[in-house]
Formats: sequence, structure tokens, C-alpha cells
Amino acid sequence: MGFSLGVVIGAVGVLILSHAAYATSQYRGLLKITEDDFSGPPFNVVVELIVGLVLCMWAALAVPGDFLSIHPHSDENRIVSLPDNLDFMIFNHRGKVFVPEINMRLKR
Amino acid sequence: MVTKTEETQLNRLESQVDNGGGGAWEYLCLVRKLKVRRSDKVLKHGLSILNDSKKRSSLGPEEWTLYEQVAIAAMDCHSLDVAKDCVNVLQKKFPESKRVGRLEAMLLEAKGSWGQAEKAYSSLLEDNPFDQVVHKRRVALAKAQGNLSGAIEWLNKYLETFMADHDAWRELAEIYVSLQMYKQAAFCYEELILSQPTVPLYHLSYADVLYTLGGLENLMTAKKYYSSTIELTGGKNTRALFGICLCTSAIAQLSKGRNKEDKDSPDLQSLATAALEKEYKQRASGKLSVLTSAFKSLKVSS
Repeated sequence: MGFSLGVVIGAVGVLILSHAAYATSQYRGLLKITEDDFSGPPFNVVVELIVGLVLCMWAALAVPGDFLSIHPHSDENRIVSLPDNLDFMIFNHRGKVFVPEINMRLKR
Repeated sequence: MVTKTEETQLNRLESQVDNGGGGAWEYLCLVRKLKVRRSDKVLKHGLSILNDSKKRSSLGPEEWTLYEQVAIAAMDCHSLDVAKDCVNVLQKKFPESKRVGRLEAMLLEAKGSWGQAEKAYSSLLEDNPFDQVVHKRRVALAKAQGNLSGAIEWLNKYLETFMADHDAWRELAEIYVSLQMYKQAAFCYEELILSQPTVPLYHLSYADVLYTLGGLENLMTAKKYYSSTIELTGGKNTRALFGICLCTSAIAQLSKGRNKEDKDSPDLQSLATAALEKEYKQRASGKLSVLTSAFKSLKVSS
């Protein structure tokens, strides 16, 4: 695929999210020292999380490629014939009388 | 289910391989995937690959699948010695295999030794009573001997265990139709439509069976199913268009004495006749006069 813009942005988004996680765990360590309750991550971590979310979503939509539209009524998808029931195939049909081609042998 | 793109691809590959271009292996894989029955071509091109040791070794482990495919095609074309050779090769490679045992039993069936084939299938089923393919082969064996009631019995027993097998339901419906047991055939088609409602061919067959049964209610239901076939195929199914015209005229004939329920039947019939005339003008304009006279006689009787 090559390093297209989407992949780079995706990587940046993942890095931002992991940095936010690291910052939150450091913040909790700090709170343990000051013995305060952990009500929620600090404001800058929240901003970082939102930014990381947006970048990752953008990358997830851009990297796999364009969406193809679904044509339920297009002619190509119409079922033309059902599969011949090969499990119930019988062998005593009129094809027996056809002369087989010459050279129809398995060489061993 | 063969879609239109797959069909065109198959035909293209077939003509390419027939005219000497390459691509025999892709053709054989496509035939195997789509489960169509092209035994003469499979035999010819499969043998050309198998007899060429270079091409055979380039297949790798797929070689054995090809042997199996060619063996079955040979049995269908009644080249029993080719089939026997293929089965022998497979037996040497996989000595204790159930799949090869099944092929041997099929070979006995193709040769016409019904008793031995029956014994072989029963012994395979003793080892593994849930082998679907062997059950189905036993049904096919009964069918080949002409014992249709026995085939129906086996098939019903099979369907009690494996209710989701569409091919078996379809086979049962076809056997019932051949024996003119239309009510039972209608039941089978209903099962098929329940499980796969978007396949128009089941709707079409169901409508045909209902139309054959006759009676006012059946005809009205048949008209509904012909309409759903037309909707699912985008208006391209000629048989369903004819079905609507015939159903409408038959219903009108049956309900001549009673009070006419004029729903939207005149619109539907005129639309169907218009669509048919357009299609005939496009594809078979010589027969257009026959068509219009047939419609006139239908309208006269209704």
C-alpha cells in the first residue's frame, strides 16, 4: 500500500492515544501520592483523547479504500441458474450411447 | 447459484479453452466452484492436464482434487476405464480414505451393479451415520433404479435429520412433480422459499405447481408468486409474464358466475401483455403475430 497519508495519520492517532493512556496512568500515580480521588482524567488528556479519536477514525475510513456502492438490482448479480444437483447425479442416462473420443485414457 | 457475471466468465473460459488457449485449470476450478455439470469438457481438459506430467506436478496437492473431479466426469460420460484408473491412483495415495470409498461405490453405481453399490454405501454409513453425501448418493441410487417411492422415502428420512439442505428439498420437489404429487411438491417449494426468499427461480417453480393444481385460491396465490418472480428478476423472466396472463384469464374464467372482484387485475394483465409484446418485438419479431393472436384468444375466453 505504501506509506500513504492515511497510514501516517493512523499511526499518529494511535501514538496520541497511547500517550494519553500513559499520561493518565502518571496522573493516577500523582494522585496516589497526594491521596486524592480519581474522578476523571485531566482536561488536557481529554483533549488529547478526542484528537486521537478523530485522527484514528479518519485513518480507518481513508486507509482501506473507497466504498463501492451496492447495486441490488443490477443485472450482474441476478441469479441465472441454480446449481445442478451434483450430489444426486445419476449415471444411467442416454449419454451412454455417445461414442467416447479417442485418446481418452489416463496415461500411467 | 450461478450469477450472470459468473455465467459469462464461465462461457468465456470455456470457449477459450476449447479453442486451444490456456486456462484449463482455471476453467476446472470455476466449474468445481459453481457446481455445474459439464462432464464432457471436464473430462477432456482434465485428462489433458493429468496426462502431461509437467502440468500435473505444477498443481501440487490440488492434483488429487483434479483426479476426483475427472473420475466423476468420466463416470458421467461413461468412460468407465478412465474412472477406474483415476480411482486406483487415488486409492494408492489415500488407502483408508472414506472419500475414495465413496468414489468406488459411485463407480459400482455407474457400472450398473446396484446391489454391490448399495452394500458399499450401507457399510460407509455404518462407519459414519452422519455422512451427508453418502445419504444423498443412496437416494440417487434408488432414483437410478427407477424406484422413485424408495427414493422419496430415503430422502424424507434424510431431510428429517438435515433440514437445511436446499438441494435435497429441491430434489424432493422435482421427484414429487415427476410423480404428479403436486401438493407435496408445493410444500417442498414453500420450504425452499422460506429459507431462501431472494431466489426467483423457487418462486417461479412454486407458482407453476400452484397453477397446475388449479382452483381459485391456488390461482390467485400463483399470480402473486409470478409477480414476485418478476419483481426479483427485474421484469426479465418471460415465463413469469406468461404465467400472469394465463392466471388472470383462468381466474376470470373461474369466477365468471360470482361477483367480480376487480382489484388491479386488468392493469396487471395489460402491463404483462405489453411487456411480453415488447420483448418479442426485440428478440423474436417473427413470432409476434402468434403472440397477439394467443392473447386475443385468452381475452375472448375470459
